[in-house]
Amino acid sequence: MSYTFNWSVLWSGQSGHWLLQGLLTTLELSALAWLLAAALGILSGALRTVPLAPLRYAAISYVEFFRNVPLLVWMFFWYFGVPPLLPRPLQDWLFNHAAEFWAAMVALGVYHGARMSEVIRSGIQAIPRTQFEASLAMGLTTFQAYRLIILPVALRLIVPPGTNESLNLLKNSSVALTIAVAELTFQTRQIETYTAKAIEALTAGTLIYLVLCLSIATIMARVERHYAIPGLISRGGAA
Amino acid sequence: MSRILVVILAVVVAFGAAAPSVAQPDTLEKIKSSGALTIGTRTGSPPFAYVNKSNEWVGFTIDLVEQLVKPSVEKAVGRQIKIEKKESTPPTRIPLLTSNAVDLIAGTMTDTPQRRESVDFSLTFFYTGAQFLVKKGSPIKGINDVSGKRVAAQQGATNAKILREKYPQVQLREFPDQPAAFQALAQGQVDAYTNDGIQLAGLKAKAPNPNEWDVVGDFYSEEPYGMAMRKGDAKFKAAVDAGLKNGFESGKYFELYEKWFGPKGEVPYPLTPQVKAYLLKQVGK
Repeated sequence: MSYTFNWSVLWSGQSGHWLLQGLLTTLELSALAWLLAAALGILSGALRTVPLAPLRYAAISYVEFFRNVPLLVWMFFWYFGVPPLLPRPLQDWLFNHAAEFWAAMVALGVYHGARMSEVIRSGIQAIPRTQFEASLAMGLTTFQAYRLIILPVALRLIVPPGTNESLNLLKNSSVALTIAVAELTFQTRQIETYTAKAIEALTAGTLIYLVLCLSIATIMARVERHYAIPGLISRGGAA
Repeated sequence: MSRILVVILAVVVAFGAAAPSVAQPDTLEKIKSSGALTIGTRTGSPPFAYVNKSNEWVGFTIDLVEQLVKPSVEKAVGRQIKIEKKESTPPTRIPLLTSNAVDLIAGTMTDTPQRRESVDFSLTFFYTGAQFLVKKGSPIKGINDVSGKRVAAQQGATNAKILREKYPQVQLREFPDQPAAFQALAQGQVDAYTNDGIQLAGLKAKAPNPNEWDVVGDFYSEEPYGMAMRKGDAKFKAAVDAGLKNGFESGKYFELYEKWFGPKGEVPYPLTPQVKAYLLKQVGK
């Protein structure tokens, strides 16, 4: 017996439909989780650099707690651990409205928020301290200084590592299949069980992830060039 | 992920090992010269085949091979043989067979038309079908009650396929493994968990409080378990079938059934009259 390739399994039957559905779920899950991760990351990344110690410690606890536990465990935590703490009617409502999707979204968002936080902190710390002091001397409050001066510059600095983190988030969304979210990897396995053509299904999944990630990387490279601050990110324009 | 890796590995092995052997398989000849019948079986499928607490590899299917198939094969080759056991899993079992690494798959393999294209099956030695595991007192009593309900299944199982195609109103949640699906049931994320009845009975028997659970419903899929052999080896198949046939006729099979699935067995799963009739019908009774 030798393996006979049959690529037509990918477009015959329901395979194409499944792949498309999986792709949409992956995109939806990743996009929502990314927004959550970005919000949490910016907030806690900024808090880690403020002059107020309690806020710094709160941000440190968040980051260290969430990034040092495997994502798989977080998936189980948000899906199996959290719902029993809610009132029964709310639980039932959630279970009937794609609880696994929201659990996966929160798990991904909170986990990657903690990792994003470190990226943002490094961006903030790359800005000379004198900028912050100059902002205060201009009469801005700490909040205004972060919102108007520090963060806008920091976010431009962290585009390359931020892209990296975003691509990781997209690929990590596949872990959601462990709690029954029918995303892209789930669907490639589905094709495998229906057609027994593992290599074809896996190749299709791989190519889709590759194309997705390459597109995001290309878009982010444009963003990086467009928003580069001349003189501050000297080689940004040449990349 | 590891399953996929195993598949790839198995494919690679199958490429390398099976290429030269295009000739008609003659398993009896092989057993005669080596003095051993190598079976591919499971290590974690109680009570069919598993490693028990005293670290022995035992089970219902292994007993069938040792006590029914072995004497019959010994008669066919005219010498004493011993049984060698190797681990086989759903993705590896067919490649193991076609590459000559094992001679007989004796585990929990369902005899399906698709599989018959690549292997031959013995007489059916166990018959089960998809049912539902629910909390005691649940309104779900069978396939007709699950419309609109949340039902967990194991990804890749035939019953998930049937539910999706014939009962699209069911909110299907497919989990990659049994523990996660059971956890979801225990916590109320889903209203029922569907799988082969015997798997559910095993799950119930192992649960911390077996009395909290019920296996309900008529079989809505057919899962006849058979032993698989290389395709086109009529003499070997005849020897294996003769052993099983003898077991059905002499009643030895039913003694073994009682040992593993009786009220005091590892997983109580009473033999229904319909299933008994089905098994006996195979040997013309």
